[in-house]
Amino acid sequence: MKQIRQLVLGILFLIPLVMSAQDIIKGKVIDATGMELPGVSVVVKGTDKGTATDFDGKFELSIDDANAIITFSFIGYEQQEVAASAEMNIVMEESSESLDEVIIIGYGQTTKKDATGSVEKVSVEEFNGGAILSPEQLIAGKTAGVNVIPASGKPGSTGTIKIRGGNSSLSANNNPLVVIDGVPMDQEDDNAPGLSTVNPNDIESFVILKDASATAIYGSRASAGVILITTKTGHRNAPLRAEFNSYLSVGNRENQVDVLNAEQFAAAVQSTGIDSAISLLGSDNTNWQDEIYRTAYGTDNNLTLTQGFENSSFRASLGYTYQEGLVKTDDFKRKSGSLNYRHRLFDDTFKIDFNIRGTVSENNNADDGARGNALTMDPTQPVYSGSTLYGGYWEWLDADGTPNAQSPNNPVGVLNQNNSFGSTERYIGNLKLDYDFPLEGLKANLNLGFDYGETNGYWDVPATSASGFDEKGTSGTWNNLRRSTLADFYVNYVHEFEQPHKIDIMLGTSYQDFYRENQTYQISGLGAVRETEFATTNSLLSYFTRLNYAYDNRYLVTFTYRRDGSSRFSPENRWGNFFSGAVAWSIADEDFLRDSQTISTLKLRIGYGETGQQEIGSDFGYLPVYTPGQNNVRYQFGNRFINTLRPEGYDSEIKWEESATSNIGIDYGFLNDRITGSLEYYIRKTTDVLSTVSPPAGSNLSNSLFTNIGDLENSGIEFSVNADIFQKENFVWNVNFNATYLQNEITKLNAVEDPESPGLAVGGIRGGVGNNIQTQQVGQAQFSYLVYKQVYDSDGNPLQGVYEDLNGDGQWTDLDKRIYKNPNPDYLLGLSSYMNYKNWDLNFVLRASLGNYTYNNIASSEGNSTSLHFNGTNRNIHDSYLDTGFGEVQLWSDYYIQDASFLKMDNAVLGYNFNELKDGEVILRIYTSVQNAFTVTDYEGLDPEISGGIDNNFYPRPRTFLLGFNINF
Amino acid sequence: MLNNKIKFSLGIITLVLTLMVSSCEDVLDKEPITELTSEQAFENEESYEQFMAKIYGGLAINGQDLDDADIQGIDGHFSNYVRLYYNLQELSTDEAIIAWNDGTIHDLHNQVWTPANEFIAAMYYRIYFQIGLVNQFLRETTDDQLNSRGVDDALKAKIAEFRAEARFMRALSYWHGIDFFGAIPFVTEDDVVGNFFPEQKSRTEVFNFIESELKEIEPQLKAPRGNELGRADKGAAWMLLAKLYINAEVYTNTDRYADAMTYINNVIGGGYSLGPEYNYLFLADNESNGSQNETIFSVRFDGINITGWGGTTYITHAAVGGTMDPNIFGIDGGWGGLRTTSTFVEKFGADVDALNSGLGNQSDWGLVGSATINGWDSPDMEMYETSTDNYALYADLVAGEIKFRFNEDWGVNYGDDGLDGTLDAGGANIPVAEDGVYFITMDLGSLTYTISPFSGDKREMFHTDGQSLEIENPFDFSQGYAITKWRNVDVNGNRGVDGSGTFCDIDFPVFRLADAYLMYAEVFLRGGGGDAGTAVGYINMIRERSYGNTGGNINPGALTEEFILAERSRELYWESHRRTDLIRFNQFSENGVWPWKGGIIQGQTTSDIRDLYPIPAADIIANPNLTQNAGY
Repeated sequence: MKQIRQLVLGILFLIPLVMSAQDIIKGKVIDATGMELPGVSVVVKGTDKGTATDFDGKFELSIDDANAIITFSFIGYEQQEVAASAEMNIVMEESSESLDEVIIIGYGQTTKKDATGSVEKVSVEEFNGGAILSPEQLIAGKTAGVNVIPASGKPGSTGTIKIRGGNSSLSANNNPLVVIDGVPMDQEDDNAPGLSTVNPNDIESFVILKDASATAIYGSRASAGVILITTKTGHRNAPLRAEFNSYLSVGNRENQVDVLNAEQFAAAVQSTGIDSAISLLGSDNTNWQDEIYRTAYGTDNNLTLTQGFENSSFRASLGYTYQEGLVKTDDFKRKSGSLNYRHRLFDDTFKIDFNIRGTVSENNNADDGARGNALTMDPTQPVYSGSTLYGGYWEWLDADGTPNAQSPNNPVGVLNQNNSFGSTERYIGNLKLDYDFPLEGLKANLNLGFDYGETNGYWDVPATSASGFDEKGTSGTWNNLRRSTLADFYVNYVHEFEQPHKIDIMLGTSYQDFYRENQTYQISGLGAVRETEFATTNSLLSYFTRLNYAYDNRYLVTFTYRRDGSSRFSPENRWGNFFSGAVAWSIADEDFLRDSQTISTLKLRIGYGETGQQEIGSDFGYLPVYTPGQNNVRYQFGNRFINTLRPEGYDSEIKWEESATSNIGIDYGFLNDRITGSLEYYIRKTTDVLSTVSPPAGSNLSNSLFTNIGDLENSGIEFSVNADIFQKENFVWNVNFNATYLQNEITKLNAVEDPESPGLAVGGIRGGVGNNIQTQQVGQAQFSYLVYKQVYDSDGNPLQGVYEDLNGDGQWTDLDKRIYKNPNPDYLLGLSSYMNYKNWDLNFVLRASLGNYTYNNIASSEGNSTSLHFNGTNRNIHDSYLDTGFGEVQLWSDYYIQDASFLKMDNAVLGYNFNELKDGEVILRIYTSVQNAFTVTDYEGLDPEISGGIDNNFYPRPRTFLLGFNINF
Repeated sequence: MLNNKIKFSLGIITLVLTLMVSSCEDVLDKEPITELTSEQAFENEESYEQFMAKIYGGLAINGQDLDDADIQGIDGHFSNYVRLYYNLQELSTDEAIIAWNDGTIHDLHNQVWTPANEFIAAMYYRIYFQIGLVNQFLRETTDDQLNSRGVDDALKAKIAEFRAEARFMRALSYWHGIDFFGAIPFVTEDDVVGNFFPEQKSRTEVFNFIESELKEIEPQLKAPRGNELGRADKGAAWMLLAKLYINAEVYTNTDRYADAMTYINNVIGGGYSLGPEYNYLFLADNESNGSQNETIFSVRFDGINITGWGGTTYITHAAVGGTMDPNIFGIDGGWGGLRTTSTFVEKFGADVDALNSGLGNQSDWGLVGSATINGWDSPDMEMYETSTDNYALYADLVAGEIKFRFNEDWGVNYGDDGLDGTLDAGGANIPVAEDGVYFITMDLGSLTYTISPFSGDKREMFHTDGQSLEIENPFDFSQGYAITKWRNVDVNGNRGVDGSGTFCDIDFPVFRLADAYLMYAEVFLRGGGGDAGTAVGYINMIRERSYGNTGGNINPGALTEEFILAERSRELYWESHRRTDLIRFNQFSENGVWPWKGGIIQGQTTSDIRDLYPIPAADIIANPNLTQNAGY
């Protein structure tokens, strides 16, 4: 078996394996408490021969030289070198402190012990399990101050990551900066920039930089926090290993949107007394949501190969994912591959690290409108009409038999008739060169990276469909391209003077260039062609430095400075300077605590830093530019159609948005760090906030200018605790709990301060065009709802159109709207539990969000009887109508602002490990999990967790069960 | 040895850092790719005309692409100039009401709008977008600029015309600005683009600026009807001056009717003629079906090249719903929004009274019978004495019979034996075959009579099937008569160029000759000069087109201010004149009641602060130089 394995793998990689007569050594590795240690690297010193311990800490290795020295190494433990013997029992000593674990920070690394800023690392061992398609899900609920809002149910979509509320800016872009292996992703990309294209299986760790003293090294892009992702690599002197994991999943809807059923609908239409509406009632009983949703199957498969040699190592992986959407015809395929290669030269003084990863994703996109149509389609009508017209689907028709253009189309027809397909290729790569100078402690690092993404798609609506009827069918293509290139160079000098002084200086420069373009093309069956094209570019040039000073490892000081130049600003405002400073005091290392058995870690950290924001939407917002018009918006002089040319508004004075964050934190550890955690308070003041405002009329060429408009304040308290509750030989139970309290307030807006102003309207809703439900107003939290105060009758039922006359002018006008609640949570809680009993393991994650409110836009726009009949057609309505009895739509009633606090179990995983297969040569793990296990909430809509707080066309998240295995050989 | 190591190390680092620092800073000087810098833009000689097309097109299109928007803060298609202008001029009056839930749109008809109203704000910013475009055009086309770009003389001449037309367009938007908002921020090409606080100028100051601008550019504009269709000429400038002067009392508290008459006469003498049929004015081919002869200035639309969900695409679609067949309107489907109130519908009913009042003095002779309003009982429908022994009456009759009698008594009465057209004392009843309005004459000299169906006013374009006259629920399209005036078909009923029926071709008439005729009569009545005969002649030209014959003609006696206001409504309804007209006649706020005015079903008067729209809250906040209109 072993030979077959080597043969297979050998052929696979064309690596000749030399077999010879050998001695066999065996053994077991345990830690000081007697626990078996799996995964310990066991290598014959000076060769590339080696293995790793199995789950029982056992290993077996053949050696050529009976006098060989065997090296045992494992993260967090002291490396040991022991002479080979047939039966080896090794006890690994924990390294002086587990806090020595290396944490990658911007342009360098530190250890937990030396960190002065708020830095959290989540490693592969702590990742969430289950059917995870998008990497941010790996860390949901794991860290205080980091809110991962899961992706919608649409396969291939990514969630949203908000670090410390993510409300550093009023502008749309509050995405953290994501840096993958040292390559910063384009923050404009999507909610979780770049993550959609990384196979979660390739990720080794996330490091989250929260406070400004940690993030300031990324200067102008760091206001919303920084996430550093390190991907997995091979290790030196390790034998060829293969790992294959695979799962099958099945997902279902948790619930459905509450619209009227056929019987309720018929009764509601009857009660309107409108004869023309009553005469349209059908006799069927169709649940349109059941018709468009399905059980969604998925599978994910990954093969990884790693091998280490004396001076080099590689890791290669291949992945294939297929996931169906809950909505029929929706699916997502992803093929991914990655290669990491490391090489060391010149006595390890020169290191080459090469990473490349590519993904090809293909989406069949179900029409987004179908979900909404399924809510408003008349439940008394059938799916199929029995005629051959319009694909055989039942549709609302005008008197002349043609489709009614203003009514919802049959959602089943829309799904089956409309096609939309997109394929995305994304490649991210970098080459990192590290050189240790002859001068001890002096290093240089050059990192060259690129990020290339291209999406090509096409769609068509056939002429035979009801929705394509008027235009005799339409079809089109879209293409997007994004690329960025990066060059970083820094030098680092570490010097330990005579005790107790130690310094660490880093000095570097970076250049990153971004380019993006998109094109669309559309043609209708009538021959109408529509084309658009856009391309733009920007770049960033930076210089940065960091100075660390440690006195006796008890007193730590960090200072950073970054100077960023962005092409998005005029030469006068182009450069921004971002400073930070932090001090830390390791109290536990003071004499009075050094010998404490109870308090093993106690560190106080105080930091201050400045960061910026340059995602201002436009690349040339400071320049007067002209935009040519498309052919469908020309103007006619005589008989000539003339294309137009529009001057754009601009603000030549636009400058950096700057945030200043102060942070104070305590890291603690009790009982030899069996219980660890931290408590932090931060306050972040953002000045010159960039946002879109109306400049004084007449002063500019547009009524909407992206400019510096005011100030914001965010603050919060974060608490976390990790506890190894049980650490017995057969039973381990580890729990992590974290809690975050956060709040934000707009402290200044516009040139003139006026708290009476209605603020800047934001938050578009459905039910009429151009309606907004939220506002940005001084003294209020961002995205607060601006609504009327509903008046209720004595039975507690809302009275239609009766609102409190809050301004007392005797009229009901929009001046009676008032700020009421907001979608931002007050508290975020996370609880992760990991349990291991013999070969079994069970882990789960619970997440709670308290104080966040959601606007139930489906109820508000559809929950009224006027919506039952429109333009000669009937439409279904939301069943809140049964409670409210509203005849007319009441979009701005606070009745629809609902408490969306929730407790969710994101996932639970149960696994069993077969460690004894082939004497531990093969490790097999079988597991099952449930995702979206349950949600506890008072919210009446489909899902309380809706990014932005407006619930209208939400793609439901499935509850997914899966069965998977992982084999390592 | 250590020294060498240090030297070597530091040497390499210094070299690399120096290279990176010194070579890179110009990488931040990026140039746009899709957009053009002004140097790039005006390298192309056609850019000047394209910029001009944007200035004119700013009234018709929403942005640089179908889904792009020049104006932010509101849905892009809502921010279309013509659409907003329509909403503010029509929805606030008796002529139009809308069924939708879009934002604060109902506040317009209810006359409860506030400074936060987004439709008012969008109109305001659309006006300043236009003004900004013109100012920028003027800045980009100074002699210095053109010389520095080496523009040749031929192009310079063309640009000189463009500059005059651009200033006309700025004057037009400033007029809309003072008409809606009163005292407003004032900027010209002498200001620089930035983030400063423009000064607020009084309504009179801006009025004076518009006047002086129009007079200054008048000689540079082409003769009336001498420019390409869609571009401004002298006729457009004259009409705008006439509009300014006729409303001068509202704008400046000083009347300028004599000046108005001067420019109205210029327009009327400008070579325009009424189009052949009233309804042709609002069809897809109104730029070529004869209606163009009446057009003084229009906003052009085309279902393929000038598209968006504003302009006449909006007015046409929004007016169709209920049992109306979209095909007749040349569109893919109605949006079920716009209808009218019973107050407007009655403008056509009240017509009979107006016609009768122009006939002469009321007499004691009257109509009686089952076809009349009170049947065979008195009071009778009294006739008017047009001359000695001659009597006439416009009468709304139902199918039945009539007789003529004197003083509501059977003592003296006439019928017609044998139906020979001769009156017979005590003769047989005269049959009326069907319901309708009839014009009835009686000549006691020759003892003859005529009874002819009155052809009716073809401007009365209502769809009543499935629609109620009164509106209990403004959100229900089926309440209130629908209006069928705007149709995206040509004179033969063929759909416009967009075969899908999505976008309409109908050009929107901003100024047309019939309006000038009505203004003549009004200014005459207001003492601005002219003569009664000419005034009545102009009115009757309009009415002859509307009635298809002289049956609707009026006598000088009918020419009253009340008649003019009603006639303007009948002729110009849904063409965005109504609010300005009502204010000029002081019937918009404190006087005048129509359903849902003031937010109640039967309507009520409102405060005269409503004669001005408020300056949007956003600009009051943004610009400390601004004072809000009184009452807001």
